[in-house]
Amino acid sequence: MRRVAITHVAQSSGAESRESLMDFTYQINREILDKAGLKREDVGCIIAGSADIFHSGLSCANAFDWDGIGAFLKEGSRAEESAMSFIYGCMRILSGHYDTVLVTALVKGSENPDNDPITSFYGDPFYLRPVGINESVVAAMQMRQYMERYKVTEEQCAKVAVKNLANALFNPYADRKRRVSLKDVMSSERVYDPLKALECAPKSDGVVSVLLASESRAKKLTKKPVWFAGYGCSMDHFNPGDRDLLNGQLKTAAAAAYKMAGVRDPKKKIDVAEVCEPYAFQELLWCEQLGFCGEGGGGKLIDSGATQMDGALPVNPSGGVLATNPYPARGLYRIAEAALQIKGEAGEHQVGKKVKTALAHSTHGFGGQCHSVVILSA
Amino acid sequence: MGKAVAIIGTGQTKHGRRSDVCYPDLVKEAVSAALMDAGITLKDIDGVVLGTMPSMMEGVSSTHFYFAEAMGAVGKPVMKVETCGSTGQSIGHCGFFWVASGMADIVLVVGSEKMSEGDGQATMTTVFDPFFQRTFAAGAPGVFTMQSMEWMYRFKIPEEKGREAAAMISVSNHDNAMDNPYAHIRTRVTMDDVKNARVITYPVRLLDVCPASDGACAVVFASERTAKKICKKPAWIKGLGFRGEEFFYGESDKAIWMSATEAAKEAYQQAGIRNPMKQLDVAELYNPFTYQEMIFYECFGFCPRGEAPDYVLKGAFKKGGQLPCCPSGGTLCTNPIGATGLIRLAEAALQVTGKAGARQVEGAKLALSHAMGGVDQFNAVTILGSKL
Repeated sequence: MRRVAITHVAQSSGAESRESLMDFTYQINREILDKAGLKREDVGCIIAGSADIFHSGLSCANAFDWDGIGAFLKEGSRAEESAMSFIYGCMRILSGHYDTVLVTALVKGSENPDNDPITSFYGDPFYLRPVGINESVVAAMQMRQYMERYKVTEEQCAKVAVKNLANALFNPYADRKRRVSLKDVMSSERVYDPLKALECAPKSDGVVSVLLASESRAKKLTKKPVWFAGYGCSMDHFNPGDRDLLNGQLKTAAAAAYKMAGVRDPKKKIDVAEVCEPYAFQELLWCEQLGFCGEGGGGKLIDSGATQMDGALPVNPSGGVLATNPYPARGLYRIAEAALQIKGEAGEHQVGKKVKTALAHSTHGFGGQCHSVVILSA
Repeated sequence: MGKAVAIIGTGQTKHGRRSDVCYPDLVKEAVSAALMDAGITLKDIDGVVLGTMPSMMEGVSSTHFYFAEAMGAVGKPVMKVETCGSTGQSIGHCGFFWVASGMADIVLVVGSEKMSEGDGQATMTTVFDPFFQRTFAAGAPGVFTMQSMEWMYRFKIPEEKGREAAAMISVSNHDNAMDNPYAHIRTRVTMDDVKNARVITYPVRLLDVCPASDGACAVVFASERTAKKICKKPAWIKGLGFRGEEFFYGESDKAIWMSATEAAKEAYQQAGIRNPMKQLDVAELYNPFTYQEMIFYECFGFCPRGEAPDYVLKGAFKKGGQLPCCPSGGTLCTNPIGATGLIRLAEAALQVTGKAGARQVEGAKLALSHAMGGVDQFNAVTILGSKL
């Protein structure tokens, strides 16, 4: 099998941008090409990551995106979720048809309605939507179930927000920058009981680009290629009532990714993880399902300090989605951050230990209906 | 370069107004048909690719969630790929690359649309930006009419001649649809019917325009090894190309239409096609508008620029002509948008495998399939062959 590497990454801040969506996109695309010393013409193929429901009131997101991502008269496509865009880019190189692929994901949350009314449209119009469902509502039910079944406490869940927002203070691209105490999180407004405001991700702007290259091209383009080592993705049942919200498809996705990457013991092998946690407790639940601790052990995991920046398995040193949530682009942000950690170029939020293998995770849909896991290695 | 990939099964719904089924059931109908055609079960599928039109048209956003069960994707990896009208071809391309990458052996590709439950024209108006273009956008016909006029003016095509040729295209597509049991509009029309039909956006009349259909299509892609093992007559993917141009309509030349020209050029190069008119046996074009079909003939090198009406009037693209186009009745008679590009691919596969029934072009070995999307912005081409 051919190999694929991430050679360069570029990302925007998650804070509200004053640029138009097209200029906003163009700037990051320009930045990554400049970093790689390439012209748009040199890139084999371009894949966008954007979703029309998160797209400033424009349908057919790819139509508007095409100029900004530099794809004029170039081979390309678009996937609706950015981890999928990344995988599609890898497929294009693995097929042997392309040597370089530029993957760019984009959104201006500041031009969109709030995420909750948007995600209510994931629900079908007949059974789910009329009851007022949205992603936060399902997350609240999931959190209640999680606490009841495993005796994980509300404080343990809130600790994730304290940790991630503290990490975000060291990330120049983070959106929500505020040091918060456990008391701040616990006393923030209960938006959907038991979920509190500071446990829910904000709505951010964000453009992120990743340049992919085949083995021979990658070695010419950079001294520090980050290799694509494994991938898994799995889709769950549509109706949240048809599934066990605490036993979804993440285990299936992770198992596939670990198998492809030859990871036997993730707890030992993974040096750092960027996990998609739009709700604080979900980081604990996802960590369990990724095999970082046993079933129901998420509460103890955060208490142990293992997932802190200087812990044995740092999780979300960038501040994660709780700090920066450019919804359809957030998966590619996780992948870009994981790559930076391996390159040793994460700046002030570079973890203390040497990173050889990193995990990036993305999820979207009610209670994590779809999960993607990507393993990168040095 | 790269591994060979084949289509080993296709499935379509009966297209039209399908108030008898809900949207996920429509998807399931196509998926079941494709699996049966390929002689496999859901267990054999390694991954699923889905594409539809945007949320506003679907009434549900991110349809890969809604169709999880219908497309048999529970517990499997999914790709959601969308490029407006060209979605159907783009998801086919994704299926190809997934298998060609070696990360999957068999991939199911699904495209669907239930247009009777949405407002297609209103949705397409929201593809335009809200500040400069949307105020004068008039859905799809407005755009395609501007393009048709630009083309006729550029190449000094007399209006009468353009009208005559477009009417012939409508008549032959409607005739072809009579042979296609899946087609939405199945009525014969005469030249006079077309020329006297109600004006939609001048010079485009009702019978120059596609219907809004409910329908779904599914196609199964497999690696060379598997295709040879389990499929008697696979359709091989010989070449594919996708190109897009500027977002703002006025910034590009729609009479020459670089995205269509370049997408075909790329696909031809991969497939080793130098003279498409001679080498191709059949073409399934994405032709929602009769006039536009003629622009595609020119962009794809079937005839010199500005001469498409002459070729049409000579009958070059009719059944039995030099290069039969849209023997299925085309998009003009069936248009469930998210599925339409994939239907073109499925029909091309049926042609090169000799499974097209009454609409079969005798001895077809090399076929072109195509889709167009956005505000005249995207074009995708896939070439299929009967031989590896």
